[in-house]
Amino acid sequence: MNETPLLRAERLGKVYPDGQVNALVEVTLSIRCGEYVALMGASGSGKSTLLNLLGALDRPTSGEVYFDNRPLSQIDDPDGFRSKKIGFVFQSFFLLPTLTALENVQIPMFEGSLGARQRAAKAADLLDLVGMKDRAGHRPGHLSVGQRQRVAVARALANDPVLLLADEPTGNLDSHSAAAVLDLFDHLHRDKGMTIVLVTHGQEVAERAERIVRLRDGRICADERRLAQAARQAAATS
Amino acid sequence: MRFHQFILKNVFQRKARSALTMLGVGIAVMAVVALVGIADGFERSFRELYERRGVDLLVVRAGSSEHLSSSVPQQVGKQIGKLPGVRAVSPGLMDVVSFEQANLTSVLLQGWTADSFLFDNLTILDGRRLRADDDAGVMLGTILARNLGKHAGEKLEIANGSFEIVGIYESFNPLENGSAVMLISSLQILMDRPNQVTGFQVVLDDAPDKRASIERVRHDINALRSPQGRPWGIAATPTRDYVRGTSQIRMAEAMAWMTSIIALIIGIVGVLNTMIMSVFERTREIGILRAIGWRKSRVVRLILYESLLLSVVGAVAGIGSAVLLTYALTWWPMVNGLIRGDVAPAVMIQGFFIALAVGLLGGAYPAYRGAHLLPTEALRHE
Ligand SMILES: Nc1ncnc2c1ncn2[C@@H]1O[C@H](COP(=O)(O)OP(=O)(O)OP(=O)(O)O)[C@@H](O)[C@H]1O
Ligand SMILES: [Mg+2]
Repeated sequence: MNETPLLRAERLGKVYPDGQVNALVEVTLSIRCGEYVALMGASGSGKSTLLNLLGALDRPTSGEVYFDNRPLSQIDDPDGFRSKKIGFVFQSFFLLPTLTALENVQIPMFEGSLGARQRAAKAADLLDLVGMKDRAGHRPGHLSVGQRQRVAVARALANDPVLLLADEPTGNLDSHSAAAVLDLFDHLHRDKGMTIVLVTHGQEVAERAERIVRLRDGRICADERRLAQAARQAAATS
Repeated sequence: MRFHQFILKNVFQRKARSALTMLGVGIAVMAVVALVGIADGFERSFRELYERRGVDLLVVRAGSSEHLSSSVPQQVGKQIGKLPGVRAVSPGLMDVVSFEQANLTSVLLQGWTADSFLFDNLTILDGRRLRADDDAGVMLGTILARNLGKHAGEKLEIANGSFEIVGIYESFNPLENGSAVMLISSLQILMDRPNQVTGFQVVLDDAPDKRASIERVRHDINALRSPQGRPWGIAATPTRDYVRGTSQIRMAEAMAWMTSIIALIIGIVGVLNTMIMSVFERTREIGILRAIGWRKSRVVRLILYESLLLSVVGAVAGIGSAVLLTYALTWWPMVNGLIRGDVAPAVMIQGFFIALAVGLLGGAYPAYRGAHLLPTEALRHE
């Protein structure tokens, strides 16, 4: 396993302008390349806030996030950076309802250099990867929630990111669909070396990861490495 | 999928709203193209009337911007004819009459001399040309004859005078086809303007430097004096400038532009409204697009291209309707040759660029708003 930190959060603070909530206080966290981390904590503890800061979707009030040792605040084109390096998966999928699965997966690729045909081919490959190849022409409304989330994962992978950030990806799924999505994450982590940060409320879900970071009131209150267990589980499932 | 296909999907997704926006832009562009086109056509007709006959200078009373009311003694024409460089001079008296029973309120009545070169461009369709002894004769243009339902040989009442229609002519010019011609002497009696004419049309000899010769003759004409040694108070103007300066044309153009500006503002507000609504409705979608990696610039393009698409489709429809409308109007009796059926391509292109401006202006603020949404906020938007 690669030991260089891919992500390093240093004394991150986030105060939302309205309400004066200290959503995050002095959060310092380091995530290695290829690591699979679960973020847990009560509702309102700052999990989503932290995830958004790690993914350059929002700016911290104080502190800094380093990606490959580069401070995010120094990046000229944060949108382009996000587009190339980071894939997001959300609890409520956020697929575009008027587009087919295949088209949804292509949306992030507009910022890349692929031609229309290559985009379609790549999207088809990604749908194949998430086991949705036969549903490529369906719109989200005609897919089950579990299938939608798998399409959303394929979309997150569209620009070959190095980091996958998932905010309660199984929160809206039944246990069967959830398992399918988590298996997919396992596969990406194990076989593709993807770095994954996943927010969850579920202990079983979190236990799929190698490390569990717990937040309480915007602070990290526990950081537990579960390397042995994860390896054991990986062995059991394969 | 291509970017433009994504944009088309958005437009087709909201069919009713897209169609209404296009209709709004279309009507605005139609108003602009039709009105400016009609004003421009009027000017072209007017200019053509002189240019096709090779008229280089028009002489009317100095300072009269309302050219119809100009009045110059007819004898000035003889002096002009003797100036070096002048090939031909034709006096003309113009007035406007109405034919109430045919619902025609302003028909141009022209008085020419029987030997005038102005007759040379008229094709006689029925009857014959006016002769020097046709004191009670009149010739009608085809459009006027059609609107009055008259034929050669019939009688026609004009402003308390009784005339015989000696012929029906066709001119190259719709304005002239909507008017009537009689001898200048008859018109002077009819209008009680003895020995007075509206002005003179002057054709010059061909010269290597036409401009210079026009300038010279113009100077000579302005310097002419009456036998008593007094200045005539007349002004010779090159054809193009004369037409430009005609008050009716200036008015028509000003009105066309005023109406157009109002139409445009309505068009811009329509597009603005649609696109603001669209951005508001799609706040979450824009947040998603940003979160999955779209740059602000692409969101700007998404919104601007969409508003441009709506405007351009609206413009094409509007220009097409304006052309049809203008053509249809020429068949309306009231119009009587005042409107040309052909809208100048330049006016259509102008309409198209105006629509582009409408799309850009109407889309600019919504695009700015959309691009500056914070992705995290946009995603929380319900
Ligand atoms: N945009 C915002 N404006 C104001 N306050 C916010 C905003 N986003 C989050 N907060 C507040 O910041 C705190 C942390 O919110 P966050 O969404 O990060 O929590 P969370 O751990 O993800 O909760 P949940 O499990 O419910 O998703 C909460 O008190 C929340 O109300
Ligand atoms: Mg959350």
